[in-house]
Amino acid sequence: MTTTAAPTTSRAPARTGRLRLRRDPWGHPRGLAIVTWIYILWSLAPVLLAIRFAFNEGRSRSAAQGWSLRWFWQDPTLSVFHDPTLRSALEQSLKLAGLAMLIATPLGVGLALGLQRWRGRGSGTTNRLTLLPLVTPELVFAVGLFLLFTTAFSFIGLGTTAQVIGHVTFSVSFVVVIVRGRLQTIGGDIEEAAADLGAPPWEVVRRVLLPLLLPAIAASLLIVFALSIDDFVVSQYLASGADTTTVPMRIYAQARAAPTPALNALATLMLAATLLALALAYAVFRVLTRGERGGRSALGQLASLEATIDAGGTK
Amino acid sequence: MSGDIRLEELTKIYGDVLAVDAIDLHIPPGEFFTMLGPSGCGKTSTLRLIAGFERPDGGAVILDGLDVSRTPPHKRNVNTVFQSYALFPHRTVEQNVAFGLRYKRVGGDEARRRVADAMELVRLGGMADRRPGQLSGGQQQRVALARALVLEPPVLLLDEPLGALDARLRVDLQVELKRIQEQLAVTFVYVTHDQDEALTMSDRVAVMREGRIEQCATPQELYEEPATAFVANFLGAANLIPVASQPGVRGTELALGSFRLRCEAEGAPHGEAVAMIRPEYVRLEPHGAEGENRLPGMVEEVVYLGFHQDVRVRLATGALVRADVPNDGEAPEYQQGDAVAVHLRARNLRVLAGDGERAVQDAQAAAAPEPAGTA
Repeated sequence: MTTTAAPTTSRAPARTGRLRLRRDPWGHPRGLAIVTWIYILWSLAPVLLAIRFAFNEGRSRSAAQGWSLRWFWQDPTLSVFHDPTLRSALEQSLKLAGLAMLIATPLGVGLALGLQRWRGRGSGTTNRLTLLPLVTPELVFAVGLFLLFTTAFSFIGLGTTAQVIGHVTFSVSFVVVIVRGRLQTIGGDIEEAAADLGAPPWEVVRRVLLPLLLPAIAASLLIVFALSIDDFVVSQYLASGADTTTVPMRIYAQARAAPTPALNALATLMLAATLLALALAYAVFRVLTRGERGGRSALGQLASLEATIDAGGTK
Repeated sequence: MSGDIRLEELTKIYGDVLAVDAIDLHIPPGEFFTMLGPSGCGKTSTLRLIAGFERPDGGAVILDGLDVSRTPPHKRNVNTVFQSYALFPHRTVEQNVAFGLRYKRVGGDEARRRVADAMELVRLGGMADRRPGQLSGGQQQRVALARALVLEPPVLLLDEPLGALDARLRVDLQVELKRIQEQLAVTFVYVTHDQDEALTMSDRVAVMREGRIEQCATPQELYEEPATAFVANFLGAANLIPVASQPGVRGTELALGSFRLRCEAEGAPHGEAVAMIRPEYVRLEPHGAEGENRLPGMVEEVVYLGFHQDVRVRLATGALVRADVPNDGEAPEYQQGDAVAVHLRARNLRVLAGDGERAVQDAQAAAAPEPAGTA
């Protein structure tokens, strides 16, 4: 390797100093790797710690006291499974996530298809407006929804319905982004080809578009689920009482009161559910787009999918 | 016999761009018709109007005597082969080919037989169960072709179908497309920016520019008798020399400074005009050669191109003439700086209307490089 560097140095002596900083520009960037690993460990440490104490034998959430599943279901009164407040929070979270997923996905697919086809006046504006919830601070969004449900839409009022509507509202944008990315990969030619071969519009959607959108639809379902189950701010603002408390809300409330490792267990379950949803989304997408021409289009899809997941994570 | 296409003042406007400018055209059944032109000349727009993917802003598309201008694409009796192939990636080759038969109410054994025939026609036997993603570009284009031909359309529209393939494969498929077209006697409307494709396959070619047809003729006529400098330059190379033209004793007399040229063509435009001659018709003779249509000049540059040489001669009048000298295995006859006589034979000279400046602009427009994938 030094032999490769030597002629370069002799040809351009003025650059010697700079070249020495990194002796081998083609080598493995070790410094970079070390910094990256330190960062990953640092950011994962609190999560790993929280998970560790979910399996604690004793009541402490800071001292290691053996291993057990006590806080998940073994404890007859304090475990996630048996404590009615924790259990109802889990049920509420799952209910919201399930409903949001089933409502936001078809809505988002329809919206994406509509936006894709809409040309001319107003289409650009609408396009950008759809993505607004992605960049709106969630607190602003939640306060807005709160005002809406307590004034103009007071016939709905606060509670589960409002929470579902809230979750659907912000997650539709994610569905639109995912589905439109996929539509772009599919390209307009395919639809035109199907029409050209005699397929009426509905048949084009049924026999060509929907099968090709399936990976995006599956990914959307699971990402909406992950977004919803993770959500705190919107759920909190639109909640109406104890029976509409979700897992993140319960964790937040109890963390200050009388915390037991059951909270860690609950958080661990949440984390597992979210990760599972995302992993499934990724896997389903991979499997369904398998065998499509070239790696680039599939990679582009994954990139956009991952960007969306990232955006969801920071929300 | 069906497959007759008539375009009447067909017009398409995108925003403030006139993409197709009142085109009138008649394509008789069974013709291999090519629309040739640089990107943005309106050839693809015209094709899309015939297919029904776009609605005309004026005029009509008439297929076999029926005005189909307001008929959606799925009800038009034409099929299209796309540059991107546009195969359905989630279906096998066989399912792709069979896709349209359902809408023709063809099923069962009949459908199977027709799919097999179509695949045989494009030489894709044995590929039935593959997915499009597992095929090469050339094979994918064959699937696209079979998928359209299985419906036995009277008209097949092809939008730069060979554009995404490499040069050698393109030549193979050109031959095959021509064979299929002759075998089925289907009207082919073929869009390309590749002059070789247009010349080798077509019965007739329309050279398009800025939404209009510049000239529509057989390949030979287009090459030998181009109507404009744009056509002359788009198909092959051309020497364009500004001249003053007037009726002569035998044909037309062209004045080039103090020199006189004779052109055999009768009825050539008079006044300010442009003389056109193909480089391969230009003869180089030793300095001082006598006879009509010989002009003195000096060799400015010799470019060796393998099977021929491109000799650029600067005439005494200042004009540059390119001569195509075939490589006959002997040592090059002319070298840079040699004084020569350029023989522009009277029967190969053409006279195009218009002034020299316009001709140069036209020539540049024709020579502009084509960005890939647009038209």
